[in-house]
Amino acid sequence: MNIVLNGVTVAIKSPPLASLLTVLREELNVTSTKVGCEQGGCGACTALVNGKPQRTCLTPIAAVDGASVTTVEGLGDSDHLTAVQQSFVNHYAAQCGFCTPAMIIAATAYLEGNGSSDREEIEEALKGHTCRCTGYQKIVSAVAAAVAETTFDLTVTTPSPNTVIKSGGQT
Amino acid sequence: MATHRGFGISSIEYPTGMNQNGDPSQAWVKVKPDGRVDVFSGTSDIGNGAKTIQSQIVAEAIGIPYDWVTFDNSNTDSSPVCTGTFASRATFVAGNAVLKAAMDVKQKILEVAGKEMEVSPEDLHIVDGEVQVKGSPDTKLGVADVAAAATWTHGVLMTGTGAQLNEYAEITNTLTGEVSGPPHAAISYAACAAEVEVDDETGDVRVLRLIQVYDVGKAINPSLVEGQIEGGALMGLGLGVLENSYPYYPSPDHRGYSIGSYYMPSSEDMPEYKTAIIENPSADGPYGAKGIGEMANNGQPGAITAAVHDAVGIWVTELPITPELVLRALDAKAEPRREGKLIAFDEELSVNSMASGISWSV
Amino acid sequence: MKVVGARLPRYDGVGHVTGQTQYVDDVRVQGMLWAKALRSPVHHAKITHLDTAKAEAMSGVHAVVTWRDVPLLEYGHLSALGIPADEPLLAKDTVRYMGQPIALVAADDEDTAQAAVNAIEVKFEELPTLFDVRNAFDEGAPKIHQWGNWYPHFEGDMDRRQIRKGNIEDAFDRADKIISGVYRPAAIEHVPLETQVSLVVPEPDGRLTIYSCTQALYFSLAVVAAHLEVPMNRIKIVGGTVGGGFGGKVDTATETLTALAAMKANRPVKWRWTREEEFLVSSTRAPWHMEIIDAVTEDGWILGRKMLTLHDSGAYARFSPYGLTKHSFHHTGAYTIPNLHFDGYVVFTNRTPTTAMRGFGVTSISFAVETHLSRIADELGLDPYEVRLKNANRINDTSPNRIRYTDPSSVEVIQALSEAAGGELAPAYAGATRAPREGEMLPEHLIGQLKTEGH
Ligand code: FES
Ligand code: FES
Repeated sequence: MNIVLNGVTVAIKSPPLASLLTVLREELNVTSTKVGCEQGGCGACTALVNGKPQRTCLTPIAAVDGASVTTVEGLGDSDHLTAVQQSFVNHYAAQCGFCTPAMIIAATAYLEGNGSSDREEIEEALKGHTCRCTGYQKIVSAVAAAVAETTFDLTVTTPSPNTVIKSGGQT
Repeated sequence: MATHRGFGISSIEYPTGMNQNGDPSQAWVKVKPDGRVDVFSGTSDIGNGAKTIQSQIVAEAIGIPYDWVTFDNSNTDSSPVCTGTFASRATFVAGNAVLKAAMDVKQKILEVAGKEMEVSPEDLHIVDGEVQVKGSPDTKLGVADVAAAATWTHGVLMTGTGAQLNEYAEITNTLTGEVSGPPHAAISYAACAAEVEVDDETGDVRVLRLIQVYDVGKAINPSLVEGQIEGGALMGLGLGVLENSYPYYPSPDHRGYSIGSYYMPSSEDMPEYKTAIIENPSADGPYGAKGIGEMANNGQPGAITAAVHDAVGIWVTELPITPELVLRALDAKAEPRREGKLIAFDEELSVNSMASGISWSV
Repeated sequence: MKVVGARLPRYDGVGHVTGQTQYVDDVRVQGMLWAKALRSPVHHAKITHLDTAKAEAMSGVHAVVTWRDVPLLEYGHLSALGIPADEPLLAKDTVRYMGQPIALVAADDEDTAQAAVNAIEVKFEELPTLFDVRNAFDEGAPKIHQWGNWYPHFEGDMDRRQIRKGNIEDAFDRADKIISGVYRPAAIEHVPLETQVSLVVPEPDGRLTIYSCTQALYFSLAVVAAHLEVPMNRIKIVGGTVGGGFGGKVDTATETLTALAAMKANRPVKWRWTREEEFLVSSTRAPWHMEIIDAVTEDGWILGRKMLTLHDSGAYARFSPYGLTKHSFHHTGAYTIPNLHFDGYVVFTNRTPTTAMRGFGVTSISFAVETHLSRIADELGLDPYEVRLKNANRINDTSPNRIRYTDPSSVEVIQALSEAAGGELAPAYAGATRAPREGEMLPEHLIGQLKTEGH
């Protein structure tokens, strides 16, 4: 068995029923795909399989023999972030960061499928991805901005919509 | 059969630091030969942004750019004591420790700079990584040059330490609950309004909008504050209308064992937010900051129950407000017992009707 | 200020978006074993038989840890604060909740570890159970904890947390209305995306490196060192980067047992909880039972409050006495109430021990008090903003523990909420400030609030 992992063909030694998640993490040391539940529920293990987002925890390796698999390592490194990655930094869309690589995979697929910047459509597209930290607001903003824009300033973050700061109250 | 809108509010307070205090945090800071600064703190970053906030505090206190700071909270060999990231203490209590450590090292930098510039340290300050003579900004020496001089000329390690420990507040009278001093490091305040829609046929409650106001003292990083407020809001919404570890509480049966069988807010449950962040500086927090990470999920449930009452006239006081509870309450149309000046709600839930070993009344 | 107040990017933001942030589960070491736990399948029972011989003999199994291997079996989360210990690290003769750990196996892989767990022979004699906190006090209620059904060690020997302030009888006599209600928020899960996990590596110098997802590095260091009866320098906790916690990772849930397994096997061991374990046996936010009776005037002043709280601690105390104390200190919410009578109990039940979660002790109070205040406003036909603004803490008001508030901002946040929600307050309320009470905002019952010390 083999897969094309982030553009490079690699042979797989794990048994055929091992999950793609276990193969990625334990055999290939690709750790951006996270073990969130191994129940298909949280989305944290998502990778692109032949360009489509797929839960690797529920995918036996034998079922993707020969397939192309893309994880966040295959998108952009710290010197060459993709627009989605930049937008997540710029919108402060990650807190603990555990859901983030898979969110970025899902958002990348959404953009590649010509998703719109409509917030409700983004919410719908991400609903299978659990984030317990952010409340999703800034994630949705990040995806919407990635759809709409091409450049991001990585030295600042963008405020949430509908937020005001009033300084120097009563003392 | 119809949907009904309702509106309700709440107003809350929450203490910063461990209850009764006595929870130390410590930090140390050192300067590399090129003026870059390493911070060692024992504060875990659980997503709250402790690494970011504490780095910002250090950069501000010394007067250097944010990206000059390296933050290390990685292990108990190099990091001094921190009681931990809980009790809304990471910014307030642990932030004070790094602030003190930074002020300490800044003094060391000014002392070495004073020797190099032949100026008294009191007449110097640091702006954007440069030590300047107060009032004549053109007489200056880069912190990098000061650090090099400390290392290669003076043989000095420029380092600073800081510790924050609020005195333990003992309970001095167990009958009344009196304490020997303030049992908190500070108190933060917030208010919340919820707009809900209740379907009187399905019993479904949807939270449409949350309007929230937090007095954060000082937003060290406003984006991180928003992150706490928004993340907390959805957790409070979950507590109010969705989540339950024991769906048949007190029975332990039929617990959800998977993300699919435990109802947690998803992106589609997110309401519309309107948020006001007020900066009323606290007396003791770093730069006036307070801690709001935890209280961020405290205000929503009470506002939601009031909004549900406003919508359909029922008080559901067991959380979460499930469709089942809503439909039962709509059916029962329960009124409180009114007798003289007494108005008694929820008597069927009280120990008075459920237990023989304990009772509770006026 | 240039750096403080700026919307700077997260320190670890680029690491997060590139998948390079290293969490415990991402650490790679050679020769690592996997751990699995034998857990109680019943809610309450005596353990009548425990034999690990078959499991130990299985190939690929490197260590089986039971209570016999733990140097100090009981060490409480709050032992350092004088709260005695009640929970064994591994069950010895009794299990008090379903899922309580009895043994930990370290083996070459998770399947082998699980097979070995299944091979451990264990027999139980089931005991009666208690789940409803309200019935814990009943005569004939099953006795489920060595200390009785509720925690008896507040400040040594108090069996409840008690607050008394002012003159409660007088407040109820003078009240126009007495309004009571019962509030019961549910237990909920923390659900951090990263489940509980630790990896322990025995080092050549005899130290242990513990990769931990703890929210509290030094807290966990103290707990592990105490159980192992070693000085702190034998252990290095590596952590600080956590995949969500929300309070649940203040418990040192896996580190000590993983350390014992690693020491016994003399190999690195990882114990990573499954999502099922996280839901079914990790600690939850506590379910609370709260009864509030308020003495109020027709125009919405709260003269006095009687309150009973039963805090469902589950099978052991853990942080619950701390949480209930904090709860009692805040049981008036953001308001000043001069006459108080609070009784709170930490009640044991046969469920997973509950623990700290975001807002610990106070989330429950905020819900109960705010719902109750909305009811009071509704019953009296008053504006809910005004009822809150009246009673909201001002400078020089006092807390339930008689601590004077110095800079409360309840008034400002309520006013700001009204403004943000498009409401309009009556002039007396729109102009209110946190300044010490005077005029209409200083009714008779609050004039003496600083003088009614004691009872
Ligand atoms: S780990 Fe695959 S969906 Fe959660
Ligand atoms: S950032 Fe923590 S789960 Fe999404």
